[in-house]
Amino acid sequence: MSQSRVVGAVEIGTSKVTVILGEIIGDSGLNIIGHSSCFSKGIKKGVITDLKDASDCVHAAILTAEKNANTRIDEVYLAQTGSHLQGNFNVGTTTVGSSDSVVRAADIEQAKEDAKRRKLRDSRTYIHHIQNPFSMDGQQVDHPLSKTGARLQVGYWSVHGDSQTVCDSLRVIGGIDLAVSDMIISSIASGAVLLEESEKGNGALVVDIGGGTTDFVLYRKGYIVLTGVVPVGGDHITNDLSIGLRMGRKGAEEIKRKNGRAYYKTEDREEKVWLFGDLTIGDREYPLAAITQIIEARVSEIFDIIKEQLVEAKLYVPEDIASGVVLTGGTSRLVGIDEVASRSLGLAARQSEGPQDVAAALRVPEYSTALGLLHYALTGQEDTQQPSKPVGILGRLSRILNL
Amino acid sequence: MSTHIDSLSSNEGLSTALKIKIVGVGGAGSNAVNGLKLDDLGDVRIAAINTDAQALANSAISEKLLIGRSVTRGLGAGGEVEIGRAAAEADREAIAALIGDMDLIILVAGFGGGTGSAAASIVAEVAAKTDALVLAFVTLPFSFEGARRKRIATEGVGELRKVVHGLIPLPNDVLLQEGEEDTSVLNAFAVADRWIGCGVHSLCAMLLKTGLINQDLGSLRTVFQNPGGKTIFGTGFASGGDYVKDALDDLLLCPLFHMGDRPAQLDRILVNVIGGADLGIAKVNEVMALVSKRFDSREDIVFGAVIDESRNDSLEICVLGKAEMERKASANEAQAAQARAPSPSHQLEELGLSSEIAQDDSPERTVHKSKLRKKKMRSDDQDEFTFTEVEAQRGYFHKTDRNEYKDEDLDVPTYLRRGIKIKIKIKA
Repeated sequence: MSQSRVVGAVEIGTSKVTVILGEIIGDSGLNIIGHSSCFSKGIKKGVITDLKDASDCVHAAILTAEKNANTRIDEVYLAQTGSHLQGNFNVGTTTVGSSDSVVRAADIEQAKEDAKRRKLRDSRTYIHHIQNPFSMDGQQVDHPLSKTGARLQVGYWSVHGDSQTVCDSLRVIGGIDLAVSDMIISSIASGAVLLEESEKGNGALVVDIGGGTTDFVLYRKGYIVLTGVVPVGGDHITNDLSIGLRMGRKGAEEIKRKNGRAYYKTEDREEKVWLFGDLTIGDREYPLAAITQIIEARVSEIFDIIKEQLVEAKLYVPEDIASGVVLTGGTSRLVGIDEVASRSLGLAARQSEGPQDVAAALRVPEYSTALGLLHYALTGQEDTQQPSKPVGILGRLSRILNL
Repeated sequence: MSTHIDSLSSNEGLSTALKIKIVGVGGAGSNAVNGLKLDDLGDVRIAAINTDAQALANSAISEKLLIGRSVTRGLGAGGEVEIGRAAAEADREAIAALIGDMDLIILVAGFGGGTGSAAASIVAEVAAKTDALVLAFVTLPFSFEGARRKRIATEGVGELRKVVHGLIPLPNDVLLQEGEEDTSVLNAFAVADRWIGCGVHSLCAMLLKTGLINQDLGSLRTVFQNPGGKTIFGTGFASGGDYVKDALDDLLLCPLFHMGDRPAQLDRILVNVIGGADLGIAKVNEVMALVSKRFDSREDIVFGAVIDESRNDSLEICVLGKAEMERKASANEAQAAQARAPSPSHQLEELGLSSEIAQDDSPERTVHKSKLRKKKMRSDDQDEFTFTEVEAQRGYFHKTDRNEYKDEDLDVPTYLRRGIKIKIKIKA
């Protein structure tokens, strides 16, 4: 029994805090034993803007999940998002040391270290170093050990964030006396559970459109080659509607859910929509066209920005993204969003159906990030694709925090 | 209510009528002023100030001033703010002569170019040294005109706001929404001029025309007591049918009220209605009641009602509101400081806490004023520049970090930045 531990996967999202409890038995078994989600407060665009409000809702979500599962959490896996996250691609190089030009483990280590040595500004902290393929004298090799050659190289996609912002999220969890075992950026977590291995191999783009941010991860030939955060999400659609239709946020949110579509059709000009539809004072009629035009402008811009980032990284190669675009996150429920994604990105796109091996209640787009966190809690370091942690990052951040 | 005494005393000598001058600064400003139709208002003077001799020569305005001849040789500022500024600096005396001795100066300028953006604040400075009340209508460039013009405009607004009593910003992106379906860019500039015309006319009519409820310069002064702060402006118009209700609806849908500003934060507002002889006091009261309910001002609402015989069966409502900046600015500043602050975590808590105080306890203004002042002193200039019109368009996100991506602020609605026209009114 001592082999089992309870992991809490926590995503502090802009609109919802999502918690899933998993019981990990031994090295390979995972039971999902509880979950909860509650509306967020004090979080905008994926970043904590009010520490107290954020703490209150995160604590409430964690306590509810613990109560549902009738257990206590041993450790927390925490998702990270926000525009402060950035990444760069670094290549490490080493000259094979031995006289017979056979690669030893030490050479591999040296190449890896070389790739990760790039220093960041003081205010920044590495969150992931994600390994990409090795190459030997310019030729890609999957397992360089014992191969012969002169020059061994390895690429890393390294993701870093603003230390203060990362600390704020750790503080929130630390506030109820829980330890964060690991942090995973949201896009990587979602991608891990939504894609089959074959899809990762063929290349795929996972786009997680939440309330305040849109997180994406690009798989190419099985490797994570790019991640990114566009600090725009469903909140922006609501805000645009509220400004454009001259109404409060509540009404705008309602109209988005009830009548929203991601793209505009000429027929929308003829169709009228009531705000409340209950004949009360203040109810107004709108042309559906106004709603769909406002949403389309915003949604297509999100995908345009993602495409621009792919193009800038020289990774916009449609044949290397053969499995297309998979959409998840709360805003992916918007009708027609797959169509707009497909149009803007020039790739096939679909709304995710969620991982098939979990209960139906968890197969909704809102839970994919938290499920991904549990996936990492389970696979841990065995997975070669596990984004490795810079040594001592949590310790270092904890020291900053005086936790 | 001391204002009534003022108006009585000024009526004694009829020759001392209210002196109003509308001054267009720069190319766009001069054009807008040129197009003003104020014939029904009698003695409102109009003037234009520009660096471009040719544009001035072609203008029908009688009172013209070419500034910076020594700097530009009369060839305009070429979009360079520094040239515009130098031109105005060089001719401060001539500007002072043009401003003269007025009761009300209304500046009109289009921001984003060289002359208007820079010279307006110098003209305003000169005007503010006289006893005149100085208001400014300023159009802000379309997003598609580029980041450079936007930046120039933003900085210009920051400078001008400090010296005028009221600055009314008119973002072209927003105004475009009010044009007809197929509004081209050229038409859009005409739309901006129409808005300026409407605002200026309504202000002047209120002061100069007699009506059911007379308002004078004194009431305008109570609304615009101090320089700085934020001014909200919007109009509604309707004719025929149930024009009172329609005009109110039109007012509430005025896009200038829906840029994310919260009218609830206004300190003082002024409402003026212009209607025909059929506009009885009962209808006026109806309008007043509804408007005061909607624009809940903390201190007071000043009402005016003007009768224009030629306007039977119609109603125009004009709302001007003023919010002092301190509260908002300090919250902003705390937020900005929070974003900038390095690691010491207790510092964050302190700031988070203090920004909360600044927001939540705002009704008891006097109590916290000293606290807020202290904060404001720390980065006075910063406040002026961070709180801009762009800020207002960010609405819900106004307290978060800027969302800059390739010179655009992603928090501002995409349709506004792209100039996509949204039609929200359903024609019966």
